[in-house]
Amino acid sequence: MNMQNAPKHSADATTVEEGLAIQEEQAKFDDDFATETAMSNTLLTPRFYTTDFDELDAVDVTPVRADWDKLIAQMESDPNKGHFKKNADWDEVDWDGMEPQLKAEFIDFLISSCTAEFSGCVLYKEMKRRGSNKDITQLFQLMARDEARHAGFINDALREAGLRVNLGFLTQSKKYTYFRPKFIYYATYLSEKIGYARYITIFRHLEANPEHRFHPIFKWFEEWCNDEFSHGEAFALLMKTDPKLTESFTNKLWIKFFLTAVYSTMYVRDHQRPAFHKALGVDPDWYAHEVFTKTSVLSGQIFPLMLDIEHPRWQRNLVRMQRANVLIADGKKAGGVGGFVKRITGSARAAAAFLSLYTIPAIKHDVPETTRLEPAY
Amino acid sequence: MGLLTRTREEVPCVVTISHRFEELSAHVKFTDGSVVGPGDTVKVHGAEIMAPYGEVVEEERMATITRASGIERLWTRATGDLEFMELCEFSFSEEVTV
Repeated sequence: MNMQNAPKHSADATTVEEGLAIQEEQAKFDDDFATETAMSNTLLTPRFYTTDFDELDAVDVTPVRADWDKLIAQMESDPNKGHFKKNADWDEVDWDGMEPQLKAEFIDFLISSCTAEFSGCVLYKEMKRRGSNKDITQLFQLMARDEARHAGFINDALREAGLRVNLGFLTQSKKYTYFRPKFIYYATYLSEKIGYARYITIFRHLEANPEHRFHPIFKWFEEWCNDEFSHGEAFALLMKTDPKLTESFTNKLWIKFFLTAVYSTMYVRDHQRPAFHKALGVDPDWYAHEVFTKTSVLSGQIFPLMLDIEHPRWQRNLVRMQRANVLIADGKKAGGVGGFVKRITGSARAAAAFLSLYTIPAIKHDVPETTRLEPAY
Repeated sequence: MGLLTRTREEVPCVVTISHRFEELSAHVKFTDGSVVGPGDTVKVHGAEIMAPYGEVVEEERMATITRASGIERLWTRATGDLEFMELCEFSFSEEVTV
C-alpha cells in the first residue's frame, strides 16, 4: 500500500516551522477528506472479457507493415498528451442551476462514457498482458493508455458534479465472458469509429452554436475523438491482415449484423435522452442520420458494404424499435402478468423491427487499396 | 476441469488503482501466472480498495478464481459473443429514463 502521503503528526515535528507545516498539511488533508465524504458514490460497472489470446497473438501485420509502423509511431509520439488538461477554457459549471432532468441525463452520459473508457482500458490491458507478439502488445498498451486518460478526464468532470467513482466491483465476484477475436475487431472498430463520428458531430455543431455548450467538456471533444479515430485505424489494419475477415460470405453477414445492431442501438439510446439533446440544440433524428452517414463513409475503408440508411424501411423501423423498447421498459416496471405481456409484445416487435432493418439490401462497394484515413470531419 | 463441476483456486494477486486526473484505471494481476478463461469468476478478498484522489495504490491480495465447469465454458464460448454490444460506447446507459 502507498503510504507516501500519510500525514505526519505535528508532535513529531522538530522545529516550529515544521510543526506549522504539518498542521497546515493536516488541515488540507481534513479538507480533502470532507470533500470526499460529501460526495455521493457512483458505482462503475465495467465488463470483463476473455478471448482467444493465442489467435490474437498469431496475427502477423507484415501485409500492412508500412501503414502499421506509421500509425504506431504516431500513437507513440502521443500528440494528445498535453491536451487533457484543464485550462482557462474550462469554465465554471452551474450544477445547482442546471435543470434536474438535464442534469440527470448529462450525468448518465458522463458515467456511461467513463465506464466505457474504463472497460476498454481493462480489455486492452488484458490483451497486452496475455500476448507476446510485440506489434499486438504495443498497440494494446497504447490504446489502454488513451482509454485510462479519457476515463481520468471524465472522472474529474464527475467529481466537479459531486460524484465520486466507486471501484467496489474490484472486490466483488466478476464473471468473465468471451468474444471471438473477430467479433472484438468488428465491435471495437465500429465503436471507435462511431464514437469519433458522434463526438466530432457534436463538436462541430457547438462550434457553430456555442450558446448550446452547457458544459466545458464538449470543448475537448475534438482531440478526444482523434484518439478514437486512431484506435479505429489500428483495428482496420488488423482486419486488413486477413482478407477473409471482411470478404467471406459469412463474415459479410456478420459485418452487416454488427452495423445494424450498433446503429439501431445508438438510435434507441439517444432517443431516451431528450433533455440532453434539447440542451445541445440537436434533433436526435438529424444527429443519428449525420453520425450514420459519417460512420458509413469511414467504415468503407475496410467493410465491403454499407447500410442503406436512405431506404424507406430504415427510419420507419428505427422508430418501431424505439417504441418497442419503451414498451419493454414499461412492462419491466409494471411487473405482474400485464407487465410480462408488455415485455413479450415489446420484444417481439423489437425483433421484427430488427429483422426488417437487417434485410434491407446493403450497398456493396469496393474497398480501397489503401486503408489508412485521416480525421477529416 | 470437470464437465459439470466447478473448482476453486486461491491465488495471490496485485491490485493496482490509479485515481488521478491523468489516469483512472484499475487492474488485477495474478502473480502466480494464473489466467482466467471463459465463464470463470474472480473475487478479490478483503475490504474495498480505492486510491485517494491524485494517487496510485498497489495492494497485494488473495483472490479466488472459480473455474467454470466444462458445460459453462462451452456455453460462455457459444453465447458470450452476443453480449458484444457492451463493447460499444453510446455514451448513455440502457436505462430508458433517468
